[in-house]
Amino acid sequence: MPQLDYDVIIIGSGPAGSTTARFAANAGLRVLLVDKRQELGAPIQCSGAISRHALEQVGIVPDAEFIHEAIYGFAIYDESGNRTVHDYRQLKADEYGVEAGKKPLGYVVDRRRFDRYLMTRAERAGVDVWLKTEGLGYTPHPDGHCTVRLQRYNEIKDLTARIVVGADGLQSQVGKWAGLQTHIKITELAGCLQFIVDGVETEGLLEIITGHRWAPGGYAWVFPKGHGYAEIGLGVVATMTDEPARDHLHRFISESFFADRFKNSRILEVQGGGVPLAAPLRTQFADNMILVGDAARHVNPITGGGLHTAVAGGKIAANFLVGHIGDKLPLTDGALKAYQDLWLAELGNKMWKLYDIKTDIFHNMNIPERDDQLYATMSDYFSPTSEFKKI
Amino acid sequence: MSKQQPVLFSIGWNACINCGACVAICPQEAGFVSPFDTIAVDRPCDIACLLCEQICPVDTIRHEVVATDSVRPVSAGIR
Ligand SMILES: Cc1cc2nc3c(=O)[nH]c(=O)nc-3n(C[C@H](O)[C@H](O)[C@H](O)COP(=O)(O)OP(=O)(O)OC[C@H]3O[C@@H](n4cnc5c(N)ncnc54)[C@H](O)[C@@H]3O)c2cc1C
Ligand code: SF4
Repeated sequence: MPQLDYDVIIIGSGPAGSTTARFAANAGLRVLLVDKRQELGAPIQCSGAISRHALEQVGIVPDAEFIHEAIYGFAIYDESGNRTVHDYRQLKADEYGVEAGKKPLGYVVDRRRFDRYLMTRAERAGVDVWLKTEGLGYTPHPDGHCTVRLQRYNEIKDLTARIVVGADGLQSQVGKWAGLQTHIKITELAGCLQFIVDGVETEGLLEIITGHRWAPGGYAWVFPKGHGYAEIGLGVVATMTDEPARDHLHRFISESFFADRFKNSRILEVQGGGVPLAAPLRTQFADNMILVGDAARHVNPITGGGLHTAVAGGKIAANFLVGHIGDKLPLTDGALKAYQDLWLAELGNKMWKLYDIKTDIFHNMNIPERDDQLYATMSDYFSPTSEFKKI
Repeated sequence: MSKQQPVLFSIGWNACINCGACVAICPQEAGFVSPFDTIAVDRPCDIACLLCEQICPVDTIRHEVVATDSVRPVSAGIR
């Protein structure tokens, strides 16, 4: 084999890509990480809630550089405003709290700063990072390596590598390059809109509001955003409503049981995105290629959360590649199935289970019953006794 | 493949929040995207499922049907 430019080329420097890159470089692989953006994380398409456990698992120390606010628990609401609260400051008072020696349960992070921070950590581990560089395609070769076509600013570059990692998010094109079935059903993608607002008080909890009336097919949320700001958002499934998310968000703000709480809110930022409430991709690998993060649909199908699964999946992908390349094993699609099997064992099988729970709820066409089920499931999911606490 | 007529999308850029939901739902082959990370607006879509219009959180995607024989690039649409 000719001398290759890199062992691994990673397309996309979101949490999944930069975490894969950092662990791979730490183990001695030569890694190039590219992202088409000029500022990572921007425009923001995420609310930024992540558990402390998820950060620690991938060796990231919570840092003021990217944290908006610490979180201590959850409040889940039904359609009329009744709520279940899991405040870990009360549930496990010796462990969680603001006092010295106690810790938060999680954080709301600023995705612009968080993604940059993770990228910087990768760079310091020896990864080459190119911003303003878009992945355009790749070609596997018979001798076992591949060529990756990139556009850096206006210049086309063809680089050789052993493997390309598609960490290019929900709009992933890398999987499509290899002809993988990546299409997501319209019934399983929530269209989301969120406002960062001033003038809404929060209490260190992530608030989740269920109910078809406010967010058909999804849910609404109120998250603390630091500096006294909050975020109000919701996601809806298009087949369950004739209106866009924007109309639902407007109605939630002005007509819900929170109308009074929100009446002095002033909008500081407008953000949105698509959240898959879907199963992981059935095939997340092809010749000289694996997918990780949103690109592989490594997203919690009940909460839509994908940060924990992106960084955890990145670590799994890197560890796999380090072992696989170290042992000089082939990088054909058959051999890369081992990556997916590893991922399923460590994370994916739990996500499939969550997907089944979610599907059961949304297959119920009786709206009041479904609302009750969703409220009960969400309330249970965030409780300290939930079997799914760790994802 | 659907029997729909090809359509050309246009996006109201003032309302677009660059969220990428339209690209995420799009069943087209790789590369059916605009330089602004939305679905393509410079060439017709022959699938015409219109899922992108349904998913858009700010309802800012429109389309017009194009005759199959006049399939030619049109400059990026400002409505
Ligand atoms: C409204 C909303 C709220 C959310 N809230 C939460 C939350 O509170 N908690 C949570 O855990 N999750 C949340 N999520 C989900 C979370 O944002 C995603 O799961 C997470 O960003 C996935 O990370 P990733 O690294 O896989 O992909 P991304 O973060 O999408 O990163 C992909 C990167 O790839 C780059 N890229 C794409 N294509 C190319 C290309 N061809 N060439 C080069 N670069 C490319 C992009 O520029 C981007 O930087 C939310 C999502 C949305 C839409
Ligand atoms: S879904 Fe709508 S708001 Fe989002 S990028 Fe596409 S056109 Fe813009």
